[in-house]
Amino acid sequence: MSSMRLTGYADKFGVHPGESIKFYVNCDGPSQYKAEIVQMINGDTNPRGPGFIEKPVPGSLEETVSGRKQIIHGGSYGFVPDCNALNVESFTLQCWVWPTTPITHPKYWKHGAQGLVTKWSDDVGYGLFINEKGHAEVRINGEKLESTTPLRDHAWHFLAATFDAKTGKLILIHEPQIEYALDPVIEPVEMTISGKLKNTSTPLAMAAYVDGVSEDPLAASSLPAGITFAGKYNGKLDTPRLCAKALSRAEIEMMKLGAQPGLTERRNSGPTGPLSEVIVGAWEFSEGISTLVATDFGPYRLDATLVNCPTRGLTGHNWSGTTFDWKQSPGEYGAIHFHDDDVDNARWDVDFEWTVPDDCKSRFYAAKLTTPEGDEDYIPFWVVPEIGDEQSKIAVMVPTISYMAYANEHVACNAGGAELFIYRVPIMQHQNMFLAEHREYGGSIYDTHTDGSGICLSSRLRPILSIRPKYDHFLAQAPWQYPADLHLIYWLETMGYEYDVFTDEDLTYDGLARIENYSVIITGSHPEHNTGTQLDALHNYTQRGGRIMYMGADAWYWVHSFHPAYDELGRGVMTEMRRCESGIRTWRADPGEYYHQGTGELGGMWRFRGRYLHSVAGVGMSSEGFDISSYFSRTPESNDDRVSWAFEGIEYDEMLGNFGLVGGGAAGLELDIVDTMLGSPPHTLTVATSAGRHTEAYLLVMEDFGFNQQGLDGTTHPRVRGDIAYHETPNGGACFAFSSIAFCGSLPWNNCDNNISKLVQNVLDRFAVPGPLPAAPADAIKYRGRADY
Amino acid sequence: MISIPPAGSPEREALIAEHKACVDSMKGVAGFSILKCETPGDTTVVSGGVHESPLLKRVLLRMRGESPAGKLIVVCTKVEAEWRIARLSGIRGVPPEFIDDKVYDCEQEIQHEIFLMRLDELPESAGMPEDYHEGWKRRSDNWPVT
Repeated sequence: MSSMRLTGYADKFGVHPGESIKFYVNCDGPSQYKAEIVQMINGDTNPRGPGFIEKPVPGSLEETVSGRKQIIHGGSYGFVPDCNALNVESFTLQCWVWPTTPITHPKYWKHGAQGLVTKWSDDVGYGLFINEKGHAEVRINGEKLESTTPLRDHAWHFLAATFDAKTGKLILIHEPQIEYALDPVIEPVEMTISGKLKNTSTPLAMAAYVDGVSEDPLAASSLPAGITFAGKYNGKLDTPRLCAKALSRAEIEMMKLGAQPGLTERRNSGPTGPLSEVIVGAWEFSEGISTLVATDFGPYRLDATLVNCPTRGLTGHNWSGTTFDWKQSPGEYGAIHFHDDDVDNARWDVDFEWTVPDDCKSRFYAAKLTTPEGDEDYIPFWVVPEIGDEQSKIAVMVPTISYMAYANEHVACNAGGAELFIYRVPIMQHQNMFLAEHREYGGSIYDTHTDGSGICLSSRLRPILSIRPKYDHFLAQAPWQYPADLHLIYWLETMGYEYDVFTDEDLTYDGLARIENYSVIITGSHPEHNTGTQLDALHNYTQRGGRIMYMGADAWYWVHSFHPAYDELGRGVMTEMRRCESGIRTWRADPGEYYHQGTGELGGMWRFRGRYLHSVAGVGMSSEGFDISSYFSRTPESNDDRVSWAFEGIEYDEMLGNFGLVGGGAAGLELDIVDTMLGSPPHTLTVATSAGRHTEAYLLVMEDFGFNQQGLDGTTHPRVRGDIAYHETPNGGACFAFSSIAFCGSLPWNNCDNNISKLVQNVLDRFAVPGPLPAAPADAIKYRGRADY
Repeated sequence: MISIPPAGSPEREALIAEHKACVDSMKGVAGFSILKCETPGDTTVVSGGVHESPLLKRVLLRMRGESPAGKLIVVCTKVEAEWRIARLSGIRGVPPEFIDDKVYDCEQEIQHEIFLMRLDELPESAGMPEDYHEGWKRRSDNWPVT
């Protein structure tokens, strides 16, 4: 099969007319490629639909670009630039570690020694490591001394190495925090080194070691540029200290306290006067958790720069289990979890730019890259109008945070196909095969890292191969997210609507100003991941008479925040999410690790922060299943005068959407229902439902029950259904919720001539008219309860 | 746990026939399930398959719950045109490997091929005490969720 020789990304998702957008491309093989800008209309190659459609763009660039390979230096680490203080003769190096993969399979993608704290490269220097056998190891130049036993994974250990330049004595201490009954006693080990410690001019590294310094262009995307790191460590590192003397065991114990500056009667930065005279660095990762700096409290201020955004705000070796928010007791959160597949920014060089014409329509676009040999890649982006320069009364909210959450997802590979929930054998695409080999492209927030811990951060500054046309997702065996949302775009184009587009980032940063000039906001098929300010803006919009057409399901579900340390690189570069106490979770955060490192806010489901999903557009997720879809039937409430206009041209007993390009029907994948006990306004009308039609692959969401029991699937449980629903909001606003991820897949069917298309057209035509909607009939005005009508 | 019906048994033959009928009826659906479409390629009315055969349902659940290492999967090698069978490595960073050169021209039929292969590969005693290994203590027994 062909490998993907072209991969790329842009510096932004949303770009305004008149601005330029930069593209970064890895061209691994071909000498050149053609770059052009196209408008994206339909991304689905299914022969039962309209097929893949793109359109030429006025003012597009058409360039032949020289190809060059660019690589991602994945894996997180910290570095401190070389300085005299770090170039010691004698030393004590100590830290706490919680390794997750001390021993790896010989075929593991980064099998080999892992650096902990190292000022070492190519047999020069010193450092603490975990060697390829899983033992703690101290290195001096080419000499190695290992502890007597491998480190236990997922457990805290205290490690210390001392070297006395006068005697040549090297000692390595390995003290597990937890000892079990049958554990052997681990005595310190020692040896004598004959030569002197030579120092290297490379940086001090945390969670890695310096592999080399190179002029090779491929090393330019490392940080610092030209210096590459190897031995990326998987696991937590806590409170490393470096002293320029071989300390006694008692002094080492004292040194665990760190530099301790700040007391007014003290005149030094050590736990004792003598220790203050030998401290080189004493790093406290509990400081600046929301930053990319590992702060040194020692006398030289040797702060480390963190690369590729390791996970912070995690419990340290001293976590007491009494505080669960790192902001309340940062000293118990002095651990950073490094992963060998973390990535925050590919850091590639720009290959070409495009300046968006001033009169460019706000639409879905992509940079299309091709070679004569058949290589191809698309780099999607969106042209978003400036606030005040809106081009239409209709706007599509592109769920880019959700795209980022699913970015480069590995579930088919990592989770044995996740077959128990997709209910078949998964189909992997080119993109999945490429990613299975190229873990440095990073995973999604659905994945676990290569060490098995959950991925809670996702960057858009890397090629995201799942945000591509012509890509069927294993979950659906059909388009999902980006290509699925193109079904909606194809429908808007075919039906002749004028519309703008904006992204989740735009709404997060701009608030109500971004949307208040539109009559109606149309969502994507699965806007699951949202920031708080985005939800605020949507609520404020509908409160003031705005209209929302919620075109999918399982939205407003997870708490996201953009990491503030990346703000200078643009909007929404790095999104963070924690999978906390409930919800559909492909991994589960550990105790005490529910708070975001970037903003400090509580993560998890919006529901458990008191923001019920159902309150945003009237419905909320109730079930999911990934085998096949079904259809909706109208309910008597669809005849209510408040909403009957939506069904003009549709008979009461028609099967609504028993066709489609996602699962074969409009009701499928993930489904939302009306629940006035969970935030649906009590005047919500359920106008159609798919009740009773789903397969046993569909299961009730776990946050809706407290007790495992039989009868939770689509063949038996009454809540396994989708409800199409309508409700009015104040000042002539309204929400229409279509409540199924598969829904948009029915829009293109039969050239958009079908009853789903008709229903959506009726709603959009009414919602798009500027000004308040017609008032509800007078007899609809009455006070309603939630549980009791 | 149910055991996997042995080769040549009438139960096994019945499972294979029902599975094949479901697969054939799903051709053309942008999705897949082991259920029979009343009208081929149309999910309006589905029946049979896992909804009506408790044994087929449980055999499939057992197969689907197998651990990732060596697990059979489908790879689309040419969009909308060609598919092949591969095995997951179970090791992060090591991509799936194709089991042979055979190319399929239907994404649904390949599901049946894999079903037949798994029937042969899954021991009758899978998941029973005689199958115990130390991995059961550390989630490698049967934990196909990330």
